[in-house]
This record gives sequence, structure tokens and C-alpha cells, in this order.
Amino acid sequence: MKRQIGSRTEIQTDSDIAISVKNLHKSFNLPTEQAFGLKQAIFNRIRGIKGYKEQKVLRGLNFEIKKGEFIGIIGRNGSGKSTLLKILAGIYYPEKGEITVNGTLVPFIELGVGFNPELTGRENVYMNGALLGFSNEEMDAMYDDIWKFAELEDFQDQKLKNYSSGMQVRLAFSIAIRAQGDILLLDEVLAVGDAAFQQKCNDYFASLKDSNQTVILVTHSMENVRKFCNRALLLENGEIIKEGNPDKIADAYLKLWS
Amino acid sequence: MSIPRVLNRRNRILLKELTKTDFKLRYQGSVLGYMWALLRPLMMFAILYVVFVKLLKIGSDIPHYPVYLLCGTSMWSFFTECTSQGIQAIVSRGDLLRKISFPKYIVVVSATLTAVINMLINLFVVIIFAFINGVTPDWSWFLIIPAIIELYILSLGISFLLGSINVKYRDITSIWDVIVQALFYAVPIIYPISMVASTSPLAAKVILLNPISQAIQDIRFGLITHETITTWNYFNNIAFAFIPIFLTLLTLIIGSIVFRKKSKFFAEEV
Repeated sequence: MKRQIGSRTEIQTDSDIAISVKNLHKSFNLPTEQAFGLKQAIFNRIRGIKGYKEQKVLRGLNFEIKKGEFIGIIGRNGSGKSTLLKILAGIYYPEKGEITVNGTLVPFIELGVGFNPELTGRENVYMNGALLGFSNEEMDAMYDDIWKFAELEDFQDQKLKNYSSGMQVRLAFSIAIRAQGDILLLDEVLAVGDAAFQQKCNDYFASLKDSNQTVILVTHSMENVRKFCNRALLLENGEIIKEGNPDKIADAYLKLWS
Repeated sequence: MSIPRVLNRRNRILLKELTKTDFKLRYQGSVLGYMWALLRPLMMFAILYVVFVKLLKIGSDIPHYPVYLLCGTSMWSFFTECTSQGIQAIVSRGDLLRKISFPKYIVVVSATLTAVINMLINLFVVIIFAFINGVTPDWSWFLIIPAIIELYILSLGISFLLGSINVKYRDITSIWDVIVQALFYAVPIIYPISMVASTSPLAAKVILLNPISQAIQDIRFGLITHETITTWNYFNNIAFAFIPIFLTLLTLIIGSIVFRKKSKFFAEEV
């Protein structure tokens, strides 16, 4: 099976473009029958069945993001938002097209990546920090702040499996916001914790906006789009059908159902 | 997989932390914890010792045979642990691959490094037993370093190659289990190679061309007794002795090429 590969390049320049995406295509080969395992593979080969179905997820996206912009990417479930984010983050490969990322990029596809329930809170903090690129020494320096922000100081040496899911997310969020990068990619991580903790998260996002951090936010919350974004993209069936003022795009999104 | 990327700071941090976590998790929840890294080879040794030395009376012609046996089994478990962990690494760390972007070989290397740590603990046990058994320290002990590195390179090559195929075809894990079982008898671990050589010198030669046999015999030669038959002293033509080394390097090269090509799609397929 031959697959063409697009390109994703990382550069460091003074240009005011943070991310540029040209003619980006992506499709997945979804297994039709149970196509795992050698037996099926051989059967399919003999019977001339491909064993998978091609699903187009992104069909020729073009956009640019300037430094300091807070961009919202919205769209229905299955419109290609998360795939786009994963390609920008370098997790998936673009099938066709060119992506240029100018500066260091920190993706939050999910909170608490690499969290292990069998390890203690302390061990998980260091592990999660390493995934964000922090050394042991750097983690030592910010260790107390992380626990204070998460309001979980008493649970440091408990195994993570004894945390409630809300507590886990709070801890993960507290680590995540330490990450420093030129561009932040956020996938639906705003809605965490109870009301008081939500307020903290909102404050964090407001501070990102005030400090002119470049942020790409994938969300279903139109409230957040209107509150934080300078610009929004509306995705539908793998294409950008509208882009521009967040208020207008949020209205257009809500009209998709009417 | 260029050199600067291997030495990249972020990758080093990641490798260290993943290895630490792997090692911690291995003995998580067991009463004796890390002690198992020591106890497992000792128990395995006790069984083999009773069966082969006491009951079957094999190896009376080899000096320090019990340590010779222990040395072989420890290195063999290193090879099997390294490959089985390495092959499964990509699949078992699938959650990470789907969510962050980093060089995929780190996952494989960190999984095999846990086996390296275990091997070093075992090696320590072997050396203690060697002393007890009356082996005198010798400069030739340093010969085991290149042999262990060779065994590690071979395991890494196999892990890269089979690990990347295993992402799509999970049968590989089961197939490899069977191959390992077969290999166990194709490598002179529980039987001395001299037993084979006395009936069929050709079979002994074939066995010695296997990189695993070559490395293990070299380690025994260096550490325990110079009477060990190795690939180097068994062939009249020394050129043959380079075949296992060539095979090892070839495995790593093929493994790396396949891994590199397939790793682009691990995040989607795992």
C-alpha cells in the first residue's frame, strides 16, 4: 500500500506567520472487516478485497495563523477538527499538502497523557512533565506550585487510581499550563473540574489572550469562542466553510442544525 | 534517526523517564518488589541445575559448569526479555503515540533498557557465583562487553523489525513466542556445544553461526573458562566468525529501515 506523504516543516523565523497550511488533505484507511491479523490479510489478498475503506477526513484546507492570534476551530463531530489538530501537532502525517510551523509548538490533545493509575501523584507529575519536555530539575522547581494550583497537596503520595476523575484532570491541567511554547494547541480541555476550578481555567485562558500568546483552540463551547478568540474557522466535512469574526462564526455554527 | 536528534535534550528526558516508569511498574504491587529481578534468574538456575547437572549429569567436562550454565541462562533471558518487551513496546505505549509527537524509537529503546537493567543485575549475580565457584578474575572479563553489546544490538534490531509489523499484525507476538522456544534449543545454553560437536561438527558450526550462540559463548569464554568453544576458536577460517556479527548488523539495519518507514503511521494504526 503506497501512501503519498505531504510535508510538515518546523522553522524558527521572525516572520509574523505562526502556522501556514496549504492544500492539506488527509484520509484514513478504515478496516472494513476485522482486518487485523495475518489470516485476514492473506484472505483479503487472495480474494482481492482491499480490507479497508478510504475515508476522506480533510479535503484541501488552506489557512494561515499569525503570531499572537487566538484561533478557534469549530465544527460538528466528525468534521475533521481533531485530525487537523493532530496533523498540526505532528502526530499524524499529512497525506498531501504543506504545513509550516514557525516556532515551538506545544499540543494538548488530551489532559494527563501518560498518566498511570498504578503510580503515585508525585511520580505521575514527573512523567507527565517529561512528556512536555521538562527535566527532573525543572520539575523540582515548579513542583509545589503545581500541587498548590491543583489544590491537591494532601494527595501527592497517593496512587493515581485513588484520585477521583475530577482530581486527576485538575492535576493534569496544573501541569499542562506550565508548558512554554510559541504556539499552544488545545483540544477541548477547558471544561474541567468544579465551578471554582473552572474559574481558574478561565483566568488562565484570559491571561493567554492578554499576553498575546498564539493559541489554537478546538472547542464546542461557543461561549469560549466569543470570549477568547480573535478569529474562528468553521469546519464541515473536512473543509473550511467559513472563517472570520468569532461571533459570526459561532452564529453560523449554531445554524448548522436549523 | 540522525545523531543530533538522538541526543536531543527533550528525547533524553523522555527516554529516562519512560525507562524509570517501565522499571517501576514491572514490580509494582509485588511484596518483594525489585528483589524479583534477582530472584527470577536464581530460581531458573536452581531448576536447571537440578535437572541438568544433578539428574542428567551433563557438563562434567566443563570447568565451573554450574556458573557456566547460570551465565548462559541469564544472557538468554536478557535476549528474550529484550525482544518480547521491544516487540510489544509500540502497541503497549499506543496511548502516548496517539497523543503526543516524539520519535517513536524512544518507546522501543526504553522498553529494552528495562531488560538491560535486569541483565546487569543478573550479571552481578553471575560474577558473585563465579567467585564462589573459584573462577579467578582475569583481563578477559572485559571481552564480555562487546559480546553483550552485540546481543543488545541484535535484540534491538529484531524489536524494530518485528515491533513495527506487530502494530498491524498482532500475530507477531505469538509467532515470536514460538520462535523463541525453538531458538532456546538451537542455542547451546543447557547443553554444552561439545556434546553436539562430538557427534556432528557441522551441526556445531551451524549453531555457532547464530549470533546469539556466538555472543553467549564469547561471554562464557571471557568470564568463566577459556576452554569454552567459541565461534572464534572452532572455525579454521576466522572469516566465518564474522558472519554472526554481520548478521547482527544486518538485522539492525533492516529493522531500522522498516521501523523508520512504518513509524509515520504508528499513531493512526496502533
